[in-house]
Amino acid sequence: MWKGFLMKHARRWLLLVAALWLLPQAALAQPKKPAGGNKPPPTAPAAGGDIEIDDPNAPAHEEQPAEPAPTPTEETGAGGGGICEIDPSACPKQGDIKKLADRQVAADVYAVQQIYALRRGRFEINPYWSQSLNDQFVGHPGPGLAVNYYLTNVLAVGVNGTYYQPFNSDADFNFENRRATRLAVPLNEYLGGYAVNFTYVPMYGKFSGFGNFIFHYDGYLVGGVGGLFTRPIAVIDPDNRKFDFEHRIAFNVGFGLRIFLNRWFSVIGEIRDYIYIEQLENTQVAATQAGQQDRNTWFGEKPLTNNVQAQIGISMFLPFSWEYRLPK
Amino acid sequence: MKQGFKLALAAAALATGVVAAPQTANAQEIQITGPLAGAPAVRKLRLYREGRAELAVGGGFTLLDEYQRTPFISGRLQYNIFDWLGVGVFGGFSPASLPTDLTEKIDSTAPRNSRTAVNLPGTGGPKFEEQTGKMGWMATPQVTFSPFRGKLALFQKLFVDTDLYVHGGVAFVGVKERGDCGGAGGQPACNTAAGFKTADRVAVAPSFGLGLTLYPSNFVSINFEYRAFPFSYNRGGFDSRGSGPDASFPDNKIDSEDRTFKFNQMMFVGVGFHLPTSPKISE
Repeated sequence: MWKGFLMKHARRWLLLVAALWLLPQAALAQPKKPAGGNKPPPTAPAAGGDIEIDDPNAPAHEEQPAEPAPTPTEETGAGGGGICEIDPSACPKQGDIKKLADRQVAADVYAVQQIYALRRGRFEINPYWSQSLNDQFVGHPGPGLAVNYYLTNVLAVGVNGTYYQPFNSDADFNFENRRATRLAVPLNEYLGGYAVNFTYVPMYGKFSGFGNFIFHYDGYLVGGVGGLFTRPIAVIDPDNRKFDFEHRIAFNVGFGLRIFLNRWFSVIGEIRDYIYIEQLENTQVAATQAGQQDRNTWFGEKPLTNNVQAQIGISMFLPFSWEYRLPK
Repeated sequence: MKQGFKLALAAAALATGVVAAPQTANAQEIQITGPLAGAPAVRKLRLYREGRAELAVGGGFTLLDEYQRTPFISGRLQYNIFDWLGVGVFGGFSPASLPTDLTEKIDSTAPRNSRTAVNLPGTGGPKFEEQTGKMGWMATPQVTFSPFRGKLALFQKLFVDTDLYVHGGVAFVGVKERGDCGGAGGQPACNTAAGFKTADRVAVAPSFGLGLTLYPSNFVSINFEYRAFPFSYNRGGFDSRGSGPDASFPDNKIDSEDRTFKFNQMMFVGVGFHLPTSPKISE
């Protein structure tokens, strides 16, 4: 009779075995339910493929995960309800979890899984304070503002401007040197400067502070062209000479470090070299009164000048938030 | 009547404010459960410093020099008690100083007359650069504190472990500057050739700064370091102080009064070698 039953339902048994065999082998983690709307949850990257954050032409992942898992509620029990309530032995104990956590796994982990602060498509507003690094005769500190727009995650175009005029500082050293040697060093002061820049971000990293917290940083290169308004300070013949600010074309190159305090706010330190042709005061004074008052006799050498500035500031990224295209 | 209405209105507003004021603020502590409960921020951390000695060699150069640029052949010997704390000595010597453009201009164009006789050697005398202050060597016992450990990605392809540290100590600097002249006790007159000779002394100064170490391998590291060691010395060899109000006018003597404060700074770039050659790894 039993044999007859099996024979009678042989076709159904075969279908059941085939269905069991075709069950997916790998376990699939259930994605989180989307926070709002019916947007599909993010998809996983292809196995072995690189995560390319900036590739706008990458095909969208069509595959949809299975039905999103229900968010744990008080009914279902957030702390392991469901099967755990029916059969507690089926749930891992705390000791088992620790053992599992300590086991060696050959995980396929990306070196940079998700960049902490994406820059692509965001504006960066960077107020800063600038300080001279290589002018021991006249300090050129001043406040400035930079605005950048990131075309990709590593490339930005932007402008910056610095206001120097009330902050130029003639060092005591100049006076003491003049008094001791009767030799005056031509000095110059700045009104302001501006530049159009490209920024490239080749370095990205993170630091663990005191082994307790982690912060992210990046290093960037910057370069551009703009102008500086400068003029000589009349030290050779101050009785007759009076100079106006004039525009000089200035190229700039530099590098910087940006430390993220959160995903839209960071602290920036930057070294920038503004390279331009300076106009110095003439160290010779004309012999006659008419000659001394002749403006054409006031100007001297035109050396190529490097104005190296350290810029320290903060930077804010707008918009404040974004959505990752690929999951963590 | 009107006054009473206003008072009542104010009292009602006050009462509404008190009633509507937020109750005690509540914050929820995030309870991490599961395998991450109590776990450290970083596992399997390579402890590049702890229990290891480091010998770093490289070059340094001073910044914002007025009369002489001073390149240093430098090194650092350090033992790291913990990954975040090390003790050691930074030192170096300068094989030669390089005169700045200002020094060369003073030598070639500054007038030699009675007004400059105390400060500049006469025509046919020694060159001006010989009287300028120079740093010959330095030795700095120091403590290094490394609170930040991390990694750096270059072009998202190359990954290097890094740490950021601060250091502080006491710098002993060998300074050569113009010797005393014009004073009592048989000192030479300052406007004679003997008055332009230099003398050596050791300046003691605080030393502090910060640096970045990159670890391309377990054994070798690359080091970028900034150091400040401010102290006073007579950089130009000039008589600039000693008389008048606040002793801020020349007194035709060269002595310690003529030393002026300088915030000396230098950059150091070096390669470090670590022993034992393999670092410990944290749990």
